Amino acid sequence: MKLDKFQNFRTLYRYAVLMMLLSFSAYAQEVSVTGKVTDKSGEPIPGVSVLVKGSENGSSSNFDGEYEMSITNTPNAILVFSYIGMETIEKRINGLKTINVVLEENVLAMNEVVVVGYGSQQKKDITGSVSIIGAEALESRPNTQVGALIQGRAPGVQVLSSSGKPSQGLSIRIRGTNSINAGSEPLYVLDGVPTTDTRSINPSDIESISILKDASSAAIYGAQGANGVVIITTKRGTSSKPTINLNTYIGVASVWNTLPVLNGDQYRDLMTEMGQNTDWDKYTENTDWQKEIFQTGLSQNLQVSMGGKSNNTNYYVSGGYVKQTGAVRSSEMDRSNFKINLDQKVNDWLKIGTRIAYTKYSDVDVNDNSSVNSGGVLLGALNTPSVIGTYNEDGTFTSNPFQNWENPIASADGSERGYTKNRILGNIYAEIRFLKDFTFRTNYGIDDGHGVYDYFLDPYRTSFGRALKGQGIRNSDTSFYYIFENTLKYNKVIKKHKIAALVGTVNQKNSWENTAIERRNFASDGIKTVNGGSEIMKAISTKSEKANSSFISRINYDYDNKYLLTANFRADGSSIFGPDNRWGYFPSFSLGWRLSEENFLKESKVVSNLKLRLGWGLVGNDQIDNYAYLGRVGSGANYPIGGVVMPGTYPVSIENLALKWEESEQTNIGVDAGFLEGRVLLTADAYIKKTKDLLLNAPLPKSTGFDSAIQNIGKLQNKGVEFGLNTINTQGAVLWTSTLNLSINKNEVLDLVGQEIFTGGIAGRGEATLIKEGLPLGTLYGYEFGGVDATTGNAYYIDKDGESTFTPVADDRKIIGDANADFLYSLNNTVTYKGFGLTVFLQGSEGNDMLNATKIESEGLLDPKNQSLSVMNRWRNPGDVTSIPRASWGSTDNSRISTRFIEDASYIRLKTVTLSYDFSEGLTEKLKMSSLRFYVTGENLYTITNYSGFDPEVNSFGGSNTVRGIDYGTYPQTRNIIFGINVSF
Amino acid sequence: MKIYKIIAIITLVFTVPSCNDYLDLSPISEETSANAYKNASQVESALIGAYESFQSSDYYVWDNILFQDVRADNHYAGGDNPEIFSIDYLTVSTTNSKVYGSWSNLYNAIAKANTVIERAKEVTDIKMTEERRNQIIGEAYFLRAFHYYNLVKNWGGVPLVLESVKSADPEVVRIPRATEEEVYAQIISDLELSASLLPDTYGNDASVNKARVSSGAANALGAKACLQKPNPDYIQALSFIAKVEESTANYTLINYEHLFDGNHYNNDESILEIQYLGGDEGNWGPQMLLPPSISGDTWRKFVTPSQNLVKAFDVAGDVIRKNATVLFESVDWIDEYWGNEIGHSIPFGSKWKNANGWSSSDRQYLLRYGDVILLKAEALNETGQLELAADEVNKIRSRVYLPNLTSDQKSTKEILRTTILNERRLELAQEAQRWDDLVRYNVIVETMNNLVEIDLRAGTAVNYNMTEAKILLPIPQQELDRNPALVQNPL
Repeated sequence: MKLDKFQNFRTLYRYAVLMMLLSFSAYAQEVSVTGKVTDKSGEPIPGVSVLVKGSENGSSSNFDGEYEMSITNTPNAILVFSYIGMETIEKRINGLKTINVVLEENVLAMNEVVVVGYGSQQKKDITGSVSIIGAEALESRPNTQVGALIQGRAPGVQVLSSSGKPSQGLSIRIRGTNSINAGSEPLYVLDGVPTTDTRSINPSDIESISILKDASSAAIYGAQGANGVVIITTKRGTSSKPTINLNTYIGVASVWNTLPVLNGDQYRDLMTEMGQNTDWDKYTENTDWQKEIFQTGLSQNLQVSMGGKSNNTNYYVSGGYVKQTGAVRSSEMDRSNFKINLDQKVNDWLKIGTRIAYTKYSDVDVNDNSSVNSGGVLLGALNTPSVIGTYNEDGTFTSNPFQNWENPIASADGSERGYTKNRILGNIYAEIRFLKDFTFRTNYGIDDGHGVYDYFLDPYRTSFGRALKGQGIRNSDTSFYYIFENTLKYNKVIKKHKIAALVGTVNQKNSWENTAIERRNFASDGIKTVNGGSEIMKAISTKSEKANSSFISRINYDYDNKYLLTANFRADGSSIFGPDNRWGYFPSFSLGWRLSEENFLKESKVVSNLKLRLGWGLVGNDQIDNYAYLGRVGSGANYPIGGVVMPGTYPVSIENLALKWEESEQTNIGVDAGFLEGRVLLTADAYIKKTKDLLLNAPLPKSTGFDSAIQNIGKLQNKGVEFGLNTINTQGAVLWTSTLNLSINKNEVLDLVGQEIFTGGIAGRGEATLIKEGLPLGTLYGYEFGGVDATTGNAYYIDKDGESTFTPVADDRKIIGDANADFLYSLNNTVTYKGFGLTVFLQGSEGNDMLNATKIESEGLLDPKNQSLSVMNRWRNPGDVTSIPRASWGSTDNSRISTRFIEDASYIRLKTVTLSYDFSEGLTEKLKMSSLRFYVTGENLYTITNYSGFDPEVNSFGGSNTVRGIDYGTYPQTRNIIFGINVSF
Repeated sequence: MKIYKIIAIITLVFTVPSCNDYLDLSPISEETSANAYKNASQVESALIGAYESFQSSDYYVWDNILFQDVRADNHYAGGDNPEIFSIDYLTVSTTNSKVYGSWSNLYNAIAKANTVIERAKEVTDIKMTEERRNQIIGEAYFLRAFHYYNLVKNWGGVPLVLESVKSADPEVVRIPRATEEEVYAQIISDLELSASLLPDTYGNDASVNKARVSSGAANALGAKACLQKPNPDYIQALSFIAKVEESTANYTLINYEHLFDGNHYNNDESILEIQYLGGDEGNWGPQMLLPPSISGDTWRKFVTPSQNLVKAFDVAGDVIRKNATVLFESVDWIDEYWGNEIGHSIPFGSKWKNANGWSSSDRQYLLRYGDVILLKAEALNETGQLELAADEVNKIRSRVYLPNLTSDQKSTKEILRTTILNERRLELAQEAQRWDDLVRYNVIVETMNNLVEIDLRAGTAVNYNMTEAKILLPIPQQELDRNPALVQNPL
């Protein structure tokens, strides 16, 4: 290998480490006192300041709460143990070699130990922007998904709930969408192992969630940190007596809103008006399709865990089972999960541990986001006339009297389908302490997943099934990921200087395999697996890989608890890019100033804590197709010659050897303030984030033969402010606390080299989204609806010159809406009184528009679809003044994508209400329990919105970066009621 | 703390990772532009991939029928798709997805052909004989010409992309439109080159000879292009046709019914046809058209033969071709032209006979000799050789047991021209020829405006409101957005 940039870099690192090893070897000779600092529950407290009273000689406890002090000539010295949020303790040495202390919590503690990238920090020392979701917040909202737990809990973090399906994965945006084509999901790190699919994580195993929002805190994750990082830490046992927890709940879910549609007679009138005639005597049913499709979903959850500590072993094991049926017929999800966490202290310098999780996840999806013509269940429920029943006499599904669009039950029940994924996530680590201040840690983690999708369409009941004579499909996906990390940490306190440094290497590799087989022509529905069919339609197997290699480094410096500095530098290599641009370099710096430690504020009764934070950093993104820089040539373009199918290839992409990292530069300024002894805590951040060299799939003229080419084009900006306010309103018998979060983010495409990209297609109506310089992502685009011409009943539109026209052209389209909220907010109130607890959690979004494309389908008046009741107001006779145009068979001119279908989708909803009761100690002791809690939780109990669709919190394009705010028969959020019991022994 | 521990740690940290080899990954299930065209068999595969566009392009499955037969007077839209209705009603918008889809299909196919032309020249593999290399290049030149022919007749002058695109640089990719004449000149020169490189046949196996492009195909397409272009070259067309006739492939007319019964593909009349086998090499087009009795579906089918077309067969007394082209069946849906109540008998486009669950082995002829004979008649008539022209028409008529042309029908060039046009309609309905024929004969505007098709719902005739501007399809708005160098057709 040539001596290149990369190698110089490596050499630099070697020197850095050697310097660190050598420079501090002088302190070793004196009498030393060691010990451990724990809290009441025996949990070690890292970062406790230990000082010899009256001197500047000090140290601090490490991650395991252990400290070591060197003391000379002062046998009667007094050690002062202090830690923000804890009562300060003084201990006389009296010749003791070991002094263990237990620190009592200061009520109203604001400081806590926060898990950050590659380690943990006290909150007071953090200079970046980090949100923490602790155990309390996690417990007050029992749920099956991690994403739901995060929603509304952290300012600047938006959970995009694209639908209410049990199988819906979560999508999170931290401080807006940073990219157009590259991934915009944050990195999830589960116990040190990065992962993407969070559906199989069991929330009840989670101890805490840290969300790294700005570049300086996420920079240690460099290439993967561009969209922020969500660090999930699972529980570990700490009490010497094993604790057994049993949590269980059952719940019901239902759709909170139905939409009125035409009845049989009204439908018949409409069809007749459009010149459609049939033998109406055959169609006399009265079916409420929404009633048929919506059901009461049931969820059951049982989780058991046991954790504790014996001698030098911390252990935590858990197992659980969740089963959910959805509020839409046939949708379901179930999950079994097992977890083992072990930490063993082998001797005074070696610690080894592991985290292992196994999950079996299954779901049955329903076809939403599609029209009734394409088997969409939700639109099927709206657009299927009531006059037909579910089955014909011969057992086949009924269809629309005029067109063979089957009723929505055919789509829900007509096929057997299900996805199952087995997944093992695990890691093993070893931690070696040496030379007093150094810790070496090696960590190897894997994420191994095997998923299978099975599908069977019988040859009898559905029209498509009959045409194909049955269809069997099996797709399997295998993914294997490993991470191998080696880090070296150095921690040192010298008088008022506290230094922590870290260097390391990280190697990661992903491998994927996909196999798909399909057969048709089944003799019957007797065999439902693929082997039952005679005609092979598909037999495909593909593999791909991705590798990343990184060098990381970080320095934390703290002077006198007042001045804090963090600097990161990371070099990342990715197989996604060509040899010339493979490596990206990502530095970050951040400063903190704890004003409350300065003399002028130290004695203040009002201000208990005040910290200013300033951070700048650069992070990268390589989340695009594997092998993106290569001109790829695909297979499968086969063609028969001489009756034999010959193998054919085709160009897939244009080679781009210059392709390089997409880079986000972010500046953050923030303040953490505590008032009135911490009863009021305020966190405020302002940020500006510019992403440049966007990895853009820039559309090419189709005359090139290609649709697009991946290029580093353009700039995108997010800027915003976010506030978090925690207050303790009353203390004493009634404890009432509130949390208010507010986020404002403004997204703008700064540069796209003049290109305009149209996307977000609505079937038969064209694209509804425009990406263009000066506009935010999520800009809705279409015609301006003028009204309904009273003479002809046709819709007229306003063209680009401001004139009315019945036939606008493409150029007349304009910006008609913005799916971005002006601000997002949430308010959580918790009140406890004796054993009772009440949590009321409100969450809302203000100023975001939605294209109600469901309404395009149900007010289109152009085909035999059943329509909304609102079309009773349609134009029928010359002179009618109305807002709904006339029915016009086969023409979409009256129902173009236009301002007519744009609605304000602002909402505020009572997201969660939890009422709980903890039984008193006296009673639980009698029952031989250590605690017992009953609770009832309601989710989405009440929603205030002007949005006229099923639900405002949906997007038919899921977690898309660019297409947002479109509702096209999307599975709505459901109203859930849950009853639960938590017991611990 | 022992020193070996420290050494061990440092060794661990810095030797385990990593060098650039770790990051140097190549695709496993794909090839790359650097290694996909190195040997003879790989270039053959690239050529196969170029042929595959005939199957994978909606344009060649049925969009060409929509633009030729539905847009003209042969068929109605049928079905339930507003975009196809708009093709029928001549109100195609610039954002119609079928217009964009077809444009994209054709240029994607051209990119594949360009790749083959370039790569075949570069291959150094000794297994690549010069003979085969020339054939491959000839096949690719034909394919490119065929797609450009389809582009130019639909959109007029289009960007001429004659090399594979290797850069996304706007300077390179934003190519303006060439003129119609330039595109036709390119097509004809490509075809002359192609014909010179290609054999008449590849041996005795018809399933190869009708699958691969032969010199006969290049000459046949050359004739079509010479006639279709703005200033037709009848002499050159006749010379191309003569070469088709001279081909040792011995193209001959066969029993008309056999052409479309699904059991006689790769026949002697076929010059080039899309090779469908069913299964994963199946044609989904037939399912869109065929009646419940054949397709098993109960939904309203697309591409319904028009009253005007059926009448044309009846007036001509043309039973054989009518029965091959149109199939009547009573259905449970209403049809706004044929029956405004259920249970009415409605015609179906039936030049495909089998649906096979969306995966038919039925095919579309890309070029067939019957078409060439009528083109010859046309060229002869235009060059004043009326009797010879009539002889050619009579070949077509006699095989469906229709009498030879009467002296009235061939009395003047103008009358014979109309006669040939009508003969082409009866011969080639549902084969994606009609719109071009009407344009070439310069009667498209009057034909469409004189067309009387009664919409039974309103009881009035459809107003097609045909104009000169509607002869060409609009350049897709999506393409204009992507390529600012393009200028829209008159709308």
